[in-house]
Amino acid sequence: MEIKWRNWLKNGWRAVALAPVLLLSGCAGNTYWIFDPKGIMAKTNLFYMIVDVVIMGAIVGLTALLVVWFMWRYKKGKNRGKYDPHWSHSNTIEVFVWGIPIIAVGFLSYFAVKGTFEINPYNPTVITHHMKPNGDPVEVDVIATDWQWLFVYPQYHMAVANELVLPVHTPVFFRLTSSAVTTTFFIPQLVGMIDVMPGMRTKNALMSDHVGEYQGIASDFAGAGTSWMTFKTKMVSAGDFSQWVQQVQKAPGSMTYASFNRFAQPYIDVHHHVVYFSAVEPGLFDHVMAEVMRGKTWPLPPMMTENMVEYMQKQAAEHRD
Amino acid sequence: MLVDLPGGWSPLLGRLAWSQIPYANPILAPLFVAVVIGAIILLGLITYYGKWTYLWKEWLTTVDHKKLGVMYIIIGLVMLFRGFIDGLMIRTQQVWAVGPHSTGVFGSLHGYLTPFHFGQVYSAHGLIMILLAATPLLVGFMNIIVPIQVGARDMAYPYLNALGLWITAAAAALIMISLFVGDFAHNGWFEYAPIFELQYSPGVGVDYWIWTLQLVALGTTLGGINILATVIKMRAPGMTWGKLPIFVWASLSANVIALTSFPALQVALALVAADRYLGAHFFTAGMGGNLMLYTNLFWIWGHPEVYFVILPAFGMMSEIFPTFSEKPLFGYITMVLASMAIAGVSWLVWLHHFFTMGAGPYVNTAFSVATMLVGIPTGVKVFNWAFTMYRGRLTFNAAMLWAIGALFLLLIGGMTGMMLAIPAINYMVHNSVFVVAHFHSMLLVIVYAIFGSVLYWFPKVFGFKLDEFWAKTMFWLFSAGTALVFVPMYMLGFMGMTRRLEYVFNTSWQSYLDVMELGIVVYTLSVLAFFILLYVSIRDHAKNRVGADAWGTSRSLEWMTHSPVPFYNFAVLPHVNERDELAWRRQHGIDQVRPAHYDDIHMPNNTGVAIIMGGLTFVLGFALTWRIWWLCIVSLLAIILLMIIRSFKGDPGYIITGAELQRMEEEAYRREAQIADSHHSHPVSGGVVGNAMAYQRNDSSK
Repeated sequence: MEIKWRNWLKNGWRAVALAPVLLLSGCAGNTYWIFDPKGIMAKTNLFYMIVDVVIMGAIVGLTALLVVWFMWRYKKGKNRGKYDPHWSHSNTIEVFVWGIPIIAVGFLSYFAVKGTFEINPYNPTVITHHMKPNGDPVEVDVIATDWQWLFVYPQYHMAVANELVLPVHTPVFFRLTSSAVTTTFFIPQLVGMIDVMPGMRTKNALMSDHVGEYQGIASDFAGAGTSWMTFKTKMVSAGDFSQWVQQVQKAPGSMTYASFNRFAQPYIDVHHHVVYFSAVEPGLFDHVMAEVMRGKTWPLPPMMTENMVEYMQKQAAEHRD
Repeated sequence: MLVDLPGGWSPLLGRLAWSQIPYANPILAPLFVAVVIGAIILLGLITYYGKWTYLWKEWLTTVDHKKLGVMYIIIGLVMLFRGFIDGLMIRTQQVWAVGPHSTGVFGSLHGYLTPFHFGQVYSAHGLIMILLAATPLLVGFMNIIVPIQVGARDMAYPYLNALGLWITAAAAALIMISLFVGDFAHNGWFEYAPIFELQYSPGVGVDYWIWTLQLVALGTTLGGINILATVIKMRAPGMTWGKLPIFVWASLSANVIALTSFPALQVALALVAADRYLGAHFFTAGMGGNLMLYTNLFWIWGHPEVYFVILPAFGMMSEIFPTFSEKPLFGYITMVLASMAIAGVSWLVWLHHFFTMGAGPYVNTAFSVATMLVGIPTGVKVFNWAFTMYRGRLTFNAAMLWAIGALFLLLIGGMTGMMLAIPAINYMVHNSVFVVAHFHSMLLVIVYAIFGSVLYWFPKVFGFKLDEFWAKTMFWLFSAGTALVFVPMYMLGFMGMTRRLEYVFNTSWQSYLDVMELGIVVYTLSVLAFFILLYVSIRDHAKNRVGADAWGTSRSLEWMTHSPVPFYNFAVLPHVNERDELAWRRQHGIDQVRPAHYDDIHMPNNTGVAIIMGGLTFVLGFALTWRIWWLCIVSLLAIILLMIIRSFKGDPGYIITGAELQRMEEEAYRREAQIADSHHSHPVSGGVVGNAMAYQRNDSSK
């Protein structure tokens, strides 16, 4: 019974997974990021989406057909179906009317519970239960500012602004906080969304087996610079990763709390500047969080982006472009 | 000053200064000129035709629930139009500002709106559509229909009803004036913590947002109290709970939600105001504040609010389907249970608005399952509507088309809602345009139900039907617009496009945005069709006059009195024998009776207090926004003083004598007799026909 059930699911998944592919075969390249996951987290999300769409699609589709059929059959003047001006109750139908949604919700609840634990950002069992003993995880501390991303690699004492480079086949664990306001960390093809909040620490994780470049987005509105607060995520081979680490570690820039204080000033990253910092103050992440909790803010001037052209000139004049 | 205010402040004008008037803005300045010219023309016409007295006596000071309802609906439609223009601006900005090579004008790098303006436009769009379009439209319909459907002469508290309207009008005026004086909130209709704090939103936008919302919340709470009291205390003789029309049940469940949830919003807003005005730290990141608390508090109101707007829409659909299926609603009792279940569960699901905020898996699954529970009663409703059509005799006129459109949108919205309810899916689409497409599907259910109701109940309120051809044209244009805008939006959600992008960084989304722009053009045509619909219908109104029962297949109490409904609703209160009273009377051949004898009735007096009070709340909101303290104190004192004076004065009401009533009724019957297809009613004495009571025997409401 158990095996049959799993087989059915597997086959169902395949059948439905093919549908969007067929649908989009005409488009140049697959731009449907959610249907084209490249990491285990995003893949798990897609699996549950497909389960849900299959179950709900069946019910909703049949209901829609039922309604259309009634509309056709009982149209006034066509005399296709019997008219019964008093019929308004049936125990049998009531049983189905309540029974179908209850069973569907019960069924989906099972998947909801299972899925939530599998991709729980604090301990995603799809990653932690399958970690290879030799696959040492990479840790990344993410600090969002108004409106840049700082990715600190504490294991390598280095940091990168507005670009994320990670090795494939390796679990990656994130700790996330923000210096200013709330936003959301999102790499559609690799990992789902998690809020990034000032004075708070959230977590997330990802693992990918696919070398490539993936789009990262600040998906919650954080103010004027949100639209430009994007970052590229490069999944590279283990060799390329260690080479890249060495390259960053040779960079001139360093990141202490004092330099972070300047970095965190409002800045609209229109030109997508990637900056490497070879030396990072140990515990910078905790330091920033502690300062924010003590009341540190990086305020915005009034009507800052009322004229973007003027604002960009001002930003450039401050040698911060 | 308890907080560091960026920019100047003066004791006389607060933060108000010339620099706050956007006279150099290439969009707002011409709009302002147009508004001023329009206002001068309108006021001039009123003066020219000498209609000021009429306006003041018949509309501005009225306590008649139908007129107040009509004014609610007018506010709702005007704000719907404003919200639509905002939507058009959002779509145009996004279709323009794609990729680094797109051009920019008016000081923006890409497109024509800078982040400063784009933020205001989409924030205003959201707030207006939910709280100043959908809510007043639904409250307006509840106002008009509920008292007639329960067989009452007015609301339980007519003066409170007027007060609710004028406070809502003050809220609408406050958000409209933010166009031309200062700026509106930039951070979305529900704002966020801590971005609404003074450090990150130094302008007056958030303050406008606070006081607009406070006023709407106040107005809606007052309205909710009134509807509840009316349904509980003012039902016609014989109308037991089991005979309550389904729209009344829907209004009842909705207003239970309104009464209990809006105070949560008002508290949350008061705390935001404390942060911004008094330098408190409820929702700041530092100093012991908790920004997640705001998100919780807001959605503890926000989610019930969603059902507050959808339940009356469900009620409207439950009225339209039986009338045009010519049979009773299937599963009345389950429908009532489903409405109450939705109202109850609405309190247990707020966290699904922020699964991504980082709650643990136990919390998330609890709210996930609770959210899916909503699917059960909603599913039941859909099936019940389907089985209402089953074995029916369906007429697909425009009202029915809107209701069926709402049904299909509910299927789509319900399906995507069940996707969002599962955290494992939600993480992927939470802040994407997929969510935007989902809740627009749901809110369009409401819009469809509202347009269906406008067509359905218009003849009851105004005495003539709206033009079928233009109503259908509008429906098909509107539906084409819906498909063209929201199908690509769902697809963009699957592509990973996030919401609220002032600049769209991915050029491969362009073609989808193009289709959505086309959709908004088609929507614009449907708006045009609506104006033509109104024009043609008013022009041909003499041809489209209707009797009491405008559709010939209507079922509930409101179709038993004249169209348009006289100000006293029922000359003699009807006695209710069955759930679908009119259908039952028609079946027993007693639908064409009229009372033989009229007693004196007691009606409430008009009052100018409500509109003055509304004006004062507007002044208070404006003064609070701009921190003009002396004006705050003056307007607040005036409000309190007026409240005290009014409460001592009270309203003894006035009496319409039986003879006067008889004269008016006979005139109405004479008018009805001139309509071709209306029947001639015959008087019955003693209120009894055969074995059935037709009217209340002794009208003791003197």
